Amino acid sequence: MTDVRRRLAVSMLVFGSLAFLAVIGAPLLGTTPIRLARVFDRSIPFADNVDAQIFFIARLPRALAGALVGATLAAAGVVFQALLRNPLATPFTLGVSAGAALGAMLAITWRLHLSLWGVSAVTAASFIGSLCAVGIVYAMARARHRGFSTNILLLAGVTLNSFFSALILFVQYLADSAEALRTMRWLMGDLDIAGYGPLLAALPLCTVAFVAFAWLPRALNLLSLDTDAAASRGVNVLRVQRVAFFSASMATGAAVSLGGPIGFIGIIIPHLVRLMVGADHRIVLPASALFGAAFLVAADVVARTAMAPVELPVGIITALIGGPFFLWLLVRQR
Amino acid sequence: MLRADDVTYVHDRGRGRMAVVAKGVSASSAAEGSPAKTSLNTGSTSATPALPGVQDVSVAIERGSVVGILGPNGCGKTTLLRLLAGMLRPEAGTVTLNGTSMASIARAALARSIAVVPQETHLAFDYSVLEIALMGRYPHLGTFELEGPRDVAIAREALAATGTAALEHRLFATLSGGEKQRVVIASALAQQADILLLDEPTASLDLGYQFDIAHLLARLNRERRLTIVVATHDLNFAAGLCGSLVMMSEGRVVAAGATGDTLTSMSIQALYGVVADVYPHHAAGHLTVVPLRRIRRD
Amino acid sequence: MKLGAGGWGLGTGGWALGASLTLATVVLLAGGHAASPLAQQHAPLRIVSLVPSATEMLFAMGAGPRVVAVSSYDHFPPEVERLPRIGALVDPDVERILSLRPDLVIAYSSQTDFLAQLERASIPVYVYRHGSLADITVGMRDLGIRVGLAEQARAAASAIDRGLADIRTRLAGKRRPRTMLVIGREPQSLRAINVSGGYGFLHDLLDLAGGDNLFAGVKRESMMVATETILARAPEVIIELHYSDRASSDTAAREREAWNLLPGLPAVKKGRVYLLYGGELVVPGPRVVLTAQAFARALHPDVLPH
Repeated sequence: MTDVRRRLAVSMLVFGSLAFLAVIGAPLLGTTPIRLARVFDRSIPFADNVDAQIFFIARLPRALAGALVGATLAAAGVVFQALLRNPLATPFTLGVSAGAALGAMLAITWRLHLSLWGVSAVTAASFIGSLCAVGIVYAMARARHRGFSTNILLLAGVTLNSFFSALILFVQYLADSAEALRTMRWLMGDLDIAGYGPLLAALPLCTVAFVAFAWLPRALNLLSLDTDAAASRGVNVLRVQRVAFFSASMATGAAVSLGGPIGFIGIIIPHLVRLMVGADHRIVLPASALFGAAFLVAADVVARTAMAPVELPVGIITALIGGPFFLWLLVRQR
Repeated sequence: MLRADDVTYVHDRGRGRMAVVAKGVSASSAAEGSPAKTSLNTGSTSATPALPGVQDVSVAIERGSVVGILGPNGCGKTTLLRLLAGMLRPEAGTVTLNGTSMASIARAALARSIAVVPQETHLAFDYSVLEIALMGRYPHLGTFELEGPRDVAIAREALAATGTAALEHRLFATLSGGEKQRVVIASALAQQADILLLDEPTASLDLGYQFDIAHLLARLNRERRLTIVVATHDLNFAAGLCGSLVMMSEGRVVAAGATGDTLTSMSIQALYGVVADVYPHHAAGHLTVVPLRRIRRD
Repeated sequence: MKLGAGGWGLGTGGWALGASLTLATVVLLAGGHAASPLAQQHAPLRIVSLVPSATEMLFAMGAGPRVVAVSSYDHFPPEVERLPRIGALVDPDVERILSLRPDLVIAYSSQTDFLAQLERASIPVYVYRHGSLADITVGMRDLGIRVGLAEQARAAASAIDRGLADIRTRLAGKRRPRTMLVIGREPQSLRAINVSGGYGFLHDLLDLAGGDNLFAGVKRESMMVATETILARAPEVIIELHYSDRASSDTAAREREAWNLLPGLPAVKKGRVYLLYGGELVVPGPRVVLTAQAFARALHPDVLPH
């Protein structure tokens, strides 16, 4: 078996087990002790079975949402880093999460009360916001070149980020105290979805994105070499760039609409995974998705147990881990 | 975009030759496949800095030959090379390979016939040398296929051919300039293409590495019958390596033919505005160019 | 006592003057611990209030006509809608305030920069401190003294105390249901649920109205709780506060239905989820009696029918 096949198999086994254990284990952990036997005891009617309710309504959707968001953000991070040829790129670099945040802010501040297909106004508005951001960035990147200039993409994304961030601050300033508090909490991330509705709403788009992610890695290897080198080895560079951009952006938009803009996943996980398995995207991408899922689920367990009964936003946990991680990265680079 | 009235790779089966004939190519520039125009036909230039255009090019490359494309900065060498590689599409006219229009050849199939070695390679991530070499195998793999033992063997063989087999597990970023260039050539070799195009392969290498590359290319041409096209402005390198030359100036071919015929003081003066002495060097075994003085061009 | 016949003129006038001076001295001595020396010279007649609860207190004690400007968040009593707005906690409009030439500004203790600016402009300030339920009436009396309406303030504060005490006594001895006081959440879903902890006037009101705050043990005014925690603690009553005017019955019903995501909660099973609407819910001012009554009606419908 060749090296890459072996490494891929080992990585899938290791990271897959991690993700599996995390998703299975997280619903069992928490400040309220529950008994597994009681959870699955069919004789007790569901409405009276608190253990089952905690497991199936509170913890399991939360673990699944954490896995989906973690996997999506980590994988999108890998794709963006390859697309922009920069290991410091994150899923939020191009302004997708700023658009999502602005959408959510507006929904909260204007107190929109409608809900579509089981998702609340805030979730829907934030997804629409992310789509707008993606559209604007893409239009700006195309305005100068009929092709696809990643440099202009980066500039457009950074510009949009600043602009939207200013708008977000503006909206927060105008909001009254209760809404301002809610907007702040949304920005810190929250996976407590209390039901499967939001998860099912995000699933189709994430699935489509992951299908694209399955196709991209080999081309991403070549792209991160050089666009000319990629083209001379048979890659349709323009198509790959477009697929990469749209799939990663939409997936990020869905993930942020579901759980808020949880930072650091999109950059810590790819880095850590590369340290462990090398730079080959065919291994890095799936491994990052699995490891991202496990990581976020674990971080969420910490967020809900560390200061119980007070809920810590999961974004704070990822930031607390992310900051020192980067310091360490910096230090070890001589 | 390039307008190629007639650019063909012609495989002359009868005499075992493969020729590249590019005639009457009028071109506007292209950068990264985009239409920023610098049309030399009309003499207008857009404000965007773009690769120089190419016009009325006539080139003949025999199979198994080593051809050098020479010319001053901005003469269109790289544009011509990219046209030959199929990376640029002509606005009008066709580019053909072995009688088939290149536009109708799938990218992967094209990649199995033509390999390109760019001037510089900047990696965004830490790939190992073997991984870089294996990337040359991608045109031969199915969409989701991973490389098998045969691919690894071919990649290793390519590394051995360029003398970099010992570096297999090193990270590419840690290599010296010459080693990097040789690894990139190995990656192109792993594509198992018949034609190798190189863009200024010695531009950032010191004298020693320049020798290494020249010898390597000569050996590959000898042993594997690779058709090699090198764009360069290192005249001595071209003189030593190439059997025939294409000289370009301002997007046009001003001379093409055997090195002995084309590399003359007159052509150099016309091309570069430099008075030079061109003579066969008894120790080197090939023509040598010694620049003497600069003259002002109009 | 009846004075001897001396006619009007100096005798009566002298008595009147003497009585006034005596009264003034008594008042001054009694209210000695209140504000700055300037207050003792004259009662403020142009008051700017950045604190909605202080505004309501002023109107309750009869100082309404003296209020010349209010904060962006003031909505009660209806008279304030005609008054100019001068910002709030984070954005007080200093220029506007100065242009109104106030002789008293009521501001938050945390607005240190703003207070410093007022001090430089030699404008008297009254610093408001957020506190518990009991602090409301104490603060009202104090404010009354500051603006020279001590009696009226005392009377109004006593009325509030009586109203609250009345509720407490009527509910004494009744069983206290385990109650979750929700002060915010995302509309149409159960995400981002904010509840009242064991501090603050809302908690005190809940306690007074005969409810056992589910999160009394957490010494914070508000906190976000996870679905799991709510399921584990199983509240018997859920009271949800909305600070706007009452929404349409459709919207209110839909919001109530959001709790059906947790059908196992005792409160949901027994239909004891109450949505309360009103601006008074967020103001620790004179209308706390209304809030207390609303809580009491929700918690003990048998004692205080709707």
